[in-house]
Amino acid sequence: MVKKIFLYVLLAVVSIVGIGFPIVKNPVNWYEYPLIPGLEENAKIIFFHVPTSWLTVIAFFMSTYFSIKYLRKKNIIDDAKAYTSAQLGMIFCILATVTGAVWAKFAWGSFWSWDPRQTSIFAILLIYGALFALRSAIEDEQKRATLSAVYSSIAFVTVPFFIFIMPRIMKGLHPGSADDSTAGPLVNFKMNGNMQVVFYLSLLGFTLLYAWMWDIGYRSYLLKEKIEKSEKKD
Amino acid sequence: MNEFLSQNALYIVLIIVLIVWTGIFGFMWSLEKRLTKLEREQKNEK
Repeated sequence: MVKKIFLYVLLAVVSIVGIGFPIVKNPVNWYEYPLIPGLEENAKIIFFHVPTSWLTVIAFFMSTYFSIKYLRKKNIIDDAKAYTSAQLGMIFCILATVTGAVWAKFAWGSFWSWDPRQTSIFAILLIYGALFALRSAIEDEQKRATLSAVYSSIAFVTVPFFIFIMPRIMKGLHPGSADDSTAGPLVNFKMNGNMQVVFYLSLLGFTLLYAWMWDIGYRSYLLKEKIEKSEKKD
Repeated sequence: MNEFLSQNALYIVLIIVLIVWTGIFGFMWSLEKRLTKLEREQKNEK
């Protein structure tokens, strides 16, 4: 109860200061954000778009972690955790793609331009989309859990490459690309102190929200499985 | 208040975002309550 109110207040505060505080050329007051060349007023997307892609990585990682745990111990709870985490990762991945596309319309001129970053996130969507197709195709519980655990742990191998490496070594439009002279490494060099605090608070808030969604997700999945099993017996 | 908001459209966005958060949290809250109740009922049946 207290935790949930804290989380609500945290995300509300992040939204208020993230959207409300002004961006100025030379920040003097504590509440002002610096102007980042190439991003300008659009820079406020950092507080909402980056946490979604951050959660994509976290959720897919947790999915892989519990997949491997399932393969070792064969406990169906681990499979439920891995599956719901992959679902959430997919949701956040789609959110990162859509928010990025809306932002790109105003920063780069079009919703989609096959920038390395956009291409790589598209590949990740396809790779993890196949996981759900695989799961829905298998009836037997054990078999489904084992196969999707194996697929999920192999699929995660591509994630660091597509999210952290490829968009950074290729030339592109997204901040942080190889030929990016304006925005550069954003977190350390272009944000000022208060911007970093809001950014990390936002990461924390979104991560806690993900944890809550995950908890509800896998519990309801287990309950559904139990009810279906007892119905089959009757 | 009205004049201020019509000149600073960003704060209208802010109010909308806060309403959206309230909605999401209300939904999550009721969802968890319902789920906990169902889990308890399921245990009692056995």
